[in-house]
Amino acid sequence: MREARAASRPSDLRALAETLVAFAAKCGADEAEVSVVDGREFDVDVRKGRIENLVEAGSRTCGLKVIKDKRTAYASSSDLVPETLRRLVRNAVRRAELASPDEFAGQAPRSIKLVDPAALDLFDPEIAGLDSKTKIGLARETERIALSDKRITNSHGANFGTNEIRSVLVLSNGFVGEFEQTYCELSVGLQAGETDSRVEDSWFSAKRHFKKLAAPEEVARRAVERTVRQLRPRKLRTQNVPVIFEPTQTSWLMAFLFACVSGTAVYQKATFLAGKLGEKIGNGLVTVVDDGLLPGELGSRPFDSDGLPAQKTTVVERGVLKNYLCNIYAARKLQLESTGNADGGGVSPNNFFLEPGTLAPRDIISETKKGLILTRTLGHGLNSVSGDISRGAFGLWVENGELAYPVSEITISGNLGRILNDIEAVGNDLEFFSPVTGPTIKVAEMTVAGT
Amino acid sequence: MGPNASPSTQPGAPLPYVDHFSLDPADLRKILDLALGSGGDFAEIYMEHGTYDFVNMEEDIIKETAESVSLGLGVRVLAGDKTGFGYTNDLSLEKIRKAALAASAIAAGKAKARPARFREKPLKKSVYPVSTPANKAGLKKKIGLVEEAYVAAQKFDGRIAKVKSYFQDSLSHIAILNSDGLFVRDTRPMVKLVCVAISEQRGRREFGFWGGGGRVGLEYFGDVLTPRDIGEQAAREAVLLLEAADAPAGEMPIVLSPGHSGVLIHEAVGHLLEADFNRKKTSIFWNKMGKKVGSDLVTIYDDPRIPAFRGSYNVDDEGTAPRRTLLIEKGVVRGFLQDRLSARLMGQPMTGHGRRQDYSHGPIPRMANTYIDRGQYAPEEIVKSVKRGFYVASLSGGQVEDSGKFTFSVSLGYLIEDGKLTAPVRQATLIGTNIDILKRIDMAGSDLRFGLQTGTCSKEGQDVPVADGCPTLKISKMTVGGRT
Repeated sequence: MREARAASRPSDLRALAETLVAFAAKCGADEAEVSVVDGREFDVDVRKGRIENLVEAGSRTCGLKVIKDKRTAYASSSDLVPETLRRLVRNAVRRAELASPDEFAGQAPRSIKLVDPAALDLFDPEIAGLDSKTKIGLARETERIALSDKRITNSHGANFGTNEIRSVLVLSNGFVGEFEQTYCELSVGLQAGETDSRVEDSWFSAKRHFKKLAAPEEVARRAVERTVRQLRPRKLRTQNVPVIFEPTQTSWLMAFLFACVSGTAVYQKATFLAGKLGEKIGNGLVTVVDDGLLPGELGSRPFDSDGLPAQKTTVVERGVLKNYLCNIYAARKLQLESTGNADGGGVSPNNFFLEPGTLAPRDIISETKKGLILTRTLGHGLNSVSGDISRGAFGLWVENGELAYPVSEITISGNLGRILNDIEAVGNDLEFFSPVTGPTIKVAEMTVAGT
Repeated sequence: MGPNASPSTQPGAPLPYVDHFSLDPADLRKILDLALGSGGDFAEIYMEHGTYDFVNMEEDIIKETAESVSLGLGVRVLAGDKTGFGYTNDLSLEKIRKAALAASAIAAGKAKARPARFREKPLKKSVYPVSTPANKAGLKKKIGLVEEAYVAAQKFDGRIAKVKSYFQDSLSHIAILNSDGLFVRDTRPMVKLVCVAISEQRGRREFGFWGGGGRVGLEYFGDVLTPRDIGEQAAREAVLLLEAADAPAGEMPIVLSPGHSGVLIHEAVGHLLEADFNRKKTSIFWNKMGKKVGSDLVTIYDDPRIPAFRGSYNVDDEGTAPRRTLLIEKGVVRGFLQDRLSARLMGQPMTGHGRRQDYSHGPIPRMANTYIDRGQYAPEEIVKSVKRGFYVASLSGGQVEDSGKFTFSVSLGYLIEDGKLTAPVRQATLIGTNIDILKRIDMAGSDLRFGLQTGTCSKEGQDVPVADGCPTLKISKMTVGGRT
């Protein structure tokens, strides 16, 4: 333990990155950027009270990008032997000559604005100090509580995992950034019912701080509740009905929206929202924000992979598309500003969420005469080019404002463009259980296909 | 050293892989000894050194190239049904020892077993038929392939608005040593060329995808599937979808196209025949060995030894020689896909299906090349037998849960009206329960084929390359999720 900590003193990762950036310049690169990530991982699976898997490891990776005459080459390695890294740098400069010149390639000017990593509260020293017994105990306790419910007939097991990650980024424009972050997650997966009529679901809590993690009782209770409520499902007749998305479902809908407002997808014309900036794409209930600055949240970070500071960006404001999310490359392509969403060669969300409304979820349900509460989906079925959605689904049928029975073997289909205009109600239950999230919403009409 | 150079390991040759990792077998034996130090009953070292190349083209330019090196070592210890695992990408003995100690912690007690002396296990004939190794070819050659596919897609039709194409190849050296004295090594090549075309007409956009590759060399793109075919097929699908109608919704007879629909077998049946889910009794099949679960037409195999296929390997990631495994015979469950741990706990023979994404993951039972065997009908006869139904031309993916419920995304389909394919249909989802579907397969064609050699399967956060296949199949009734 002591060894590993000594080895990850800030200076040596940063020194490695700085050396490589300088070496790239010596090899003829006009610009270079180097990232080094040093991670420690712990992971335990417990099933039926016994440890099934125990993983403990540390690893480092290095990524680099060079630009020569506006031509780009990338390289990465988990072999951090200096000789290997120098060879990769030399090769990258040589390979860059074979790519096409790209007028949009190149680093952003170094930003004078900096975000203090400490202010973002991304690191919890308590996680590094947890002993194995405590960590294993959390998984074991969560599963034990879940299995003590007689309706639960089998377990996929409970898991507890932690990560401690130090990241360094050095750019030839003078940017040097470094920060530490932690992550912990507790989850359990369950089955209820007999072999041929089983239902399953799971629940989890994921946080940067150990103290904020949900207790085993809470994770177990929600996993049990989510599993048993699906017992004895019925099929539905094919029909068009209102659909209420639980927060976990709004979450994937938002992930799909992110894919459609990503600057990369926009310049590639791979999204139905290309060319719609400033237009109304949804109704007044829809406000979507990407915020990399929320203290302690999973999607926060001080700077992106272009070395630009994280920021808060309004993506959709009361239905109007205000911003695409861009790295410096997509921003130049689209003649926009970077929003600090660079991630490797692409664009990724920070904390990307639908702003909550004022309604309690139970009021949204009680005002629904007939409809489907969407609780889980299976499969891919998302087409960002057209906005089409078609997925296998599980849910709870609502009649006269009350839960009537669970349903399965159905599909839901619709179109994101239409859904954004058809949102009738937005709940007040926004939680940052994942970086991409949203509250309960009600969509006026979608096709639910069954028999 | 190219994969073609040694279809099997030369007996008596030095140990290039161990040399490759600059590690001495005597030291590695000490590591295994250390790993068994707390009372584990089996220990294993998995070493990997891989190189990877990538070229992509978009916006009419060769946008970037990438090179990547993956080096690392994982140590696994089994103690009964428990697994301890540690890994490192720093191959100093000090760090390897640390990984071994982390793995050993799964057991608590005194050492019970000592590692046996290593005996190198020769491999059977290689299933990687490479004549032009990609790792030896220059970058210019690879750029040429990407450009050819790109231009073919762009020129195919005036309505093609955007094209992307990319090529990737990798060469992975692995060595596995375990406390039973097993020592085995393999060098696995892989290539893949993919094209995505986006069409546009009156504000509507659609996309088409095509690609190919496998554990082959660059000769594949001359002999089997040309870059031009890949580009044109992607463009053809994108253009066709511009005219496609929304899918119908509701229950109806389904005809699955040969090859591409293999993903349905992979999802609906294959996953639930992986031994770990059955050992844990979470799979719907756990109590159905020897029982009839499907119609007589359903015979399913998984064969990791089909030459050149993406899912193939000479040896699995635990050092076991793989064999074609019968999973379902005429509707009766006959076998599970086993890895070492599940085979041991279930008292079954290993089938060579223990696979891992890379050195940082432990092996789990996985599919390789899964297919449903051919039947006797001509494909036309099958379509002719349907009055009103849905023909699945290409599927873009699927997902299953252990209870047997699954879904598939259909990217292109056709309506079947009076025994004929009529209007093209876009974006639909199929949903069902595997046992129902297996029982409802009531016609199978004589035209067994495999889908695109581009597939990757995810399980428990691990991605591995796979292939799947099937003949034309008719399912008497299934739910299609479209729009009404």
